[in-house]
Amino acid sequence: MKYDSHFRYFSLTLIWAWLGIFALLAFLLVLGVSFLDHTQAHIVIPRLTFTNYQFLFQPMLLKIFGKSFSIAATVTFFCLIIGYPFAYFLSQLDRHYKSLLMLFLIIPFWTSSLVRSYAIMAILKTKGLLNLLLLTLGIIHQPMQLLFTNVAVIIGLVYNLLPFMVLPLYANFERLDRRLLEAAEDLGAGRFIKVYKILLPLTKPGIYAGVMMVFLPSMTLFYIPDLLGGARSLLLGNLIENQFLFANNWPVGSAVSVILTAVMGGMLFIYWRATQRHERQQVLL
Amino acid sequence: MIRLILCLFLVCWSGLSLAEDNVVNVYGWSSDMSNEIIQAFEKETGIKVNHSGYSSNEELYAKLRAIGPGSYDVIEPSSYYVSRMIAQNMLEPIDVTKLKNYKNIDPEFLHPSYDPKGVHAIPYFWGVTGIFVNRKYYPDLKITRWTDLWQPQYKNQLFMLDDPRELFSIALITLGYSPNDSNREHIKQAYERLRLLSANIKLYNSSAVVSIVGDEDATLGIMWNGNFYSAAAYNKNLEFIFPEDGFVIWVDNFAIPKGAEHKENAYKFIDFLLKAETAKAMSLNNSEAITNTAGRKLLPPELRDSKVIYPSDEILKRGIYQEDINDAALADYANYWEKLKLQ
Repeated sequence: MKYDSHFRYFSLTLIWAWLGIFALLAFLLVLGVSFLDHTQAHIVIPRLTFTNYQFLFQPMLLKIFGKSFSIAATVTFFCLIIGYPFAYFLSQLDRHYKSLLMLFLIIPFWTSSLVRSYAIMAILKTKGLLNLLLLTLGIIHQPMQLLFTNVAVIIGLVYNLLPFMVLPLYANFERLDRRLLEAAEDLGAGRFIKVYKILLPLTKPGIYAGVMMVFLPSMTLFYIPDLLGGARSLLLGNLIENQFLFANNWPVGSAVSVILTAVMGGMLFIYWRATQRHERQQVLL
Repeated sequence: MIRLILCLFLVCWSGLSLAEDNVVNVYGWSSDMSNEIIQAFEKETGIKVNHSGYSSNEELYAKLRAIGPGSYDVIEPSSYYVSRMIAQNMLEPIDVTKLKNYKNIDPEFLHPSYDPKGVHAIPYFWGVTGIFVNRKYYPDLKITRWTDLWQPQYKNQLFMLDDPRELFSIALITLGYSPNDSNREHIKQAYERLRLLSANIKLYNSSAVVSIVGDEDATLGIMWNGNFYSAAAYNKNLEFIFPEDGFVIWVDNFAIPKGAEHKENAYKFIDFLLKAETAKAMSLNNSEAITNTAGRKLLPPELRDSKVIYPSDEILKRGIYQEDINDAALADYANYWEKLKLQ
């Protein structure tokens, strides 16, 4: 008994300490630096300033923000329309196949995502597998120049982030009470009504969770546009990378990070509100 | 944090290398040294080579400044960084009487403008920056000058080296200035020129040039002639153009940084590189032109007589040797470069 409670205190302290140091403290440092100045010789000097945020409001950077959001939205959209039916069918299979397919979904994660991005390069190249296949089948007659475009960036991001959409949706589908669908059918609901009135509302938490887990990383995975994108495939993550590593401007890099965190906070808030309402509805039912 | 870890790592690493006495620590361009060459040197002299690589002069310079003297015995800066390092007293003067094979170097390359007082650097590789075009995609394209790259028909098609110095050189040349110009007003004008070019730029890259161009993921743009030769070896549609409005000639040198711990071994290593046989192997490895006359004679005829690698004197007359620019100009480059990349 005693041992058990010791262990619990230990692990709780560890978790809180870990989060406190590596999440909260790190974020506070970033937040602090984003209000400080810098000089050529010093990365950060203790002088309060708001210029870093003002600096972000120039047309050039606002354009990158806009582009980043639209790429992230496109990626999320494709992940959702691929991931939703995927998760549904996965949850419908019998146990044996389910775990096998789950394993196939997870296995690529054992390889570094960087290595997998290089594999995508090999597929999308002008002389790569995709063009070779389409040329052999006679579907196209000129190889497509896919690599180093935004299309390649979107393909890379969708591929890398799809499991983050599938897993929460799958968990959601698993918990779903099938009798509701049967009842709807008994009451004469067609296929469309069943999806629209039953399935979608009940899987809202899964959709929100999936969208969040895809939308934010797709703005920050800077190495994917670095590898697959061209001169203008810049995401917010690349902007942060650029400010920290090449421009030596940590304060501006921090300001961009803070804005990203604020966006994430806003989305978490919406998610929290949405699931609360959903749970209330369930209670009422 | 990463810096701290790197520093700790370097401290440990240099501590380890101190323990071993018979070594030479070489820091050169990543693609320039092959394992065969290093092994041949180790076999001949019994000296162990610790080789590490970089992909830009800026990287070499920053690292040398950050870790201080004594960590490296041989480095490989380009011409314009040689003059910068001489000015900041970062290079040892080289006693050429200790280099038996110094005589192999083409006298044209000795005592260059970037190293006027005495010898601080041994010129080794040289090359030019020009235009490449893939004839499969542009069969009838007439392109002879840098200014042609600004035409709107090339929107989102050009391949560019990820190197501020190279891009600004092009813009400065098209404006009629020298690529070694430090005039801030001229550099500003060059930046405005490059902003107009940026809509045409598909991609910036310096590290995977050969495969990107050879595999036709980029079909028109700027390139170093050595890389071009490697790519053209397996893609016959490629053509190299020496721009008529002038182009940059660069020279990569071997040098000994101030405070090198194994200076005798550094001399032995550089002398080994200057042997005709080694120079031949070095040139075959990266297809770049060598200053080593004796070594060039040993090369296979297709490389030795290549008009791309060793252009005629008439073409070379249009070339301009790359020299250092001052600190204010360098800061402008960095500032404008960042803005260009964000466009």
